[in-house]
Parts: sequence; C-alpha cells; structure tokens
Amino acid sequence: MKEFLWMYFYAVLFLTMLVAIYGIAVKPNMLKKIIMLSILSDAANVLAVVMGYRANASSPPVYPGYTFEVVDYPSKDAIVSFVNSAVDPIPQVLVVTAIVIGLAVLVFLSSILILIYRKYRTLDVRRLSSLIKEGGEWIE
Amino acid sequence: MPDLRTFIIALSLITVSAVLGYALITYGLAPVANQDLVKLSRVYLGTVFNKSSVLWGASPEVVTSIIWDYRGLDTVYETTVFFVAVISALTLFRNVKITPSNTGRGVGMTVIVKTVSKIVFIAIPAVAVSITVHGHLTPGGGFQGGSTFSVASLLMISVFSLNLVVARGWSKEKLLSIRTLGLLSVGFVAFSTPLIASLLGLKGYLMQNLEKPWAPVGWPAEVSLASASSILVSGTLIVLNIAEFVAVSAGLSLIFITLSLPTNVLEEGGGVAR
Repeated sequence: MKEFLWMYFYAVLFLTMLVAIYGIAVKPNMLKKIIMLSILSDAANVLAVVMGYRANASSPPVYPGYTFEVVDYPSKDAIVSFVNSAVDPIPQVLVVTAIVIGLAVLVFLSSILILIYRKYRTLDVRRLSSLIKEGGEWIE
Repeated sequence: MPDLRTFIIALSLITVSAVLGYALITYGLAPVANQDLVKLSRVYLGTVFNKSSVLWGASPEVVTSIIWDYRGLDTVYETTVFFVAVISALTLFRNVKITPSNTGRGVGMTVIVKTVSKIVFIAIPAVAVSITVHGHLTPGGGFQGGSTFSVASLLMISVFSLNLVVARGWSKEKLLSIRTLGLLSVGFVAFSTPLIASLLGLKGYLMQNLEKPWAPVGWPAEVSLASASSILVSGTLIVLNIAEFVAVSAGLSLIFITLSLPTNVLEEGGGVAR
C-alpha cells in the first residue's frame, strides 16, 4: 500500500512535468510557453521536496524556541533527539536556490517578451517566423 | 468535444508518467519514505548548533546556516546569477527614460482600494524586515524578506499608479545604487575574514563565518550590548541576510517598475537595436 501511494506521488509529479513540456513544445503563444516553463520548474521543486520526506519526522529543521536572547545552547541529548526528529534540510536548501534562479530566468524572459510584442504586435511563434522571413515587418 | 488526437496525447502522457513512477519504485531508484537521513544531513543537523563541535554555525536555523555558511560560495554564485539576470533585463530597456512626465496620468484605483492598501503598506514592509532580521532564528532570510518587500512596491504601482511611485523619487539610478550597495556588502563580508587574517599573518577563508581553531579570525556569534544578556547574531548570517534583503528588494522593485511602463513610453525610448 505504501509503495502504491509513493508510486502515485511520483506519477502525478511526472505527469505535471510532462504536461508542462508538452505545453512548451506545442503551444504557439510565447506567454503560455513561459507559464508552462514556470510550472515545470515548480514541479521539479516539489519532486525534490518529496524526495526529502522522512517518515516519522515531526519537526522542521529549526531548533525550536530560540530567540535573540541567548539563554543556553542545546545539550547533547537535545541535539540527538533533534537529529532523530527533523526532516532533511538539503532538499529545502536546493529548492530555495532553484526558486531564486527560476525567478531570475522568469524576469529576463518576460522583459524579452515585452520587447518582442512591442516590435511585432504578436506573440504567436508561427506569425513571428513568417514576419521574420518576410524581412521583418517593423511596427513603428 | 475533444477529438481523437487530444485523447491519444493525454493517454500517452498518463501512461508514460505511470510507467516512470512504477519503474522508480520497483527498481529502487527513488526513496520511499526514508526512516533515516543521509550522512551529510546528519552532519548538518548535528553540528549547526552544537558549541562543542568545530563546524558549528551558531544558528538554530539549519537551512539558513547551510545557505550562507556551509555552502556560502554557492549562494554567492546564485546571487550573481540573479544580479546578471536583472542587469540584462534592464539592458533591454536601456534607452527608456523613466520620468514623472511620461509615466501616465496617475489616477489609480478607487478610494476603497486605496484606503485598504494604506493599511497594508505599513504591514508588508514590517513583515519583510521581520522575516529578514529573524532569518537566522526562524525560517526565512534575505531573499524571502526582499521578495515580500517587493510585493509592496508592486501593490503600490497597481493601486496608486506608476506615476506616483516615480514622482515620489523611486528612480532607476537610486534603486540601482541601493541594489549595488547590498551586493557590495555581501562582497565585503565575504572578503573581510581572509583580508584581516592575512594582515595579521594568520589563516582565513573566503566566506568564513565563525572562528575555527586553525583559522582564528571570525565574526562574533553573540554580541553583548549595554544590558546584561547578549544577543545571538550568528556571525555573518544576520549581516548577509540584511545585505541580500536590500539587494533583492531594490532589484525586484526596479524590475516591476520597468515591466509596468506604458507601451508608448517604451516606443518612444526604443529598446533593442534597429
């Protein structure tokens, strides 16, 4: 039963990624391509987080109850019990990095998109390619 | 009514993903609800707040510690990628002048939306600064706080109009300078330890956080103020979080202002080479 549930998780995530790749390949509108690209990167991030799941772990990777005021650092037993109950921090770190890079790519692609629309008044790749073949119809 | 082609495509996508999921689980390629962690995660979790350990990071927040301390160089490169992306997006709009006279009439939304937004505008920067300054204690950090802050500028553009934002002095040059200041602070923190150590004739590492037995120059884990108790600042973590907050909030606000320019301004300014 547990195996089936995990199979289902992975299959749904792969389905999301495949639909996103299908959209990037097939949709002619470039704005829709970018939306699909962000869905693809989000699905990849969720896949990383799912892989970092730890059974019977109950706490996030943060030592609980510490504020700016230093009282005392955790004892040896507290550290051992924290290591035994916290989830895996490495996928979370990777996902934080991936989100920032994804945002940077998204920002750059959307500014290119605005300029393309300004020059050609269309985001349809079929129309764009025919316009470019005709020698570029500049709309001033 | 979906035609046969759509049906076949959907069916094939579902089949491929089901086969991939089945293969991953059956052949043991993907983890199924691990009971145990990999050794690296155990080292991170166990040493980060353990004062007797050599590798300690003096922060109860493991993720922030890994981002800025254990894998600090990685994050510096990530910040560089973000910096280059924002700079190249601005390069595409390099000839566009952003002045109060060419950014629309500045009418904005109705009185109801404006009044509610005025209340929210106090809350959003407060939350953003709180996320940033508590980045080494609770989940969050510089990037998260900076993105939260930039939501305030995006809301200001859409509720009070771009014209008001530009007329209040949020110019391109000012925001770029603030952003560069944040990035320079990150660079200063990264190079401070090896520089001071080499001046003293000792060993020091790039992006070094706390002092080590073999590299005794480091940032302090606690700072004692005039009051009796000392404050946990976790070495470089709080400084780097604040610097990243400044850089990200200014950079994202600048991008939102540039992307929301009206079309006639873009056409006047010209963007790409003809």
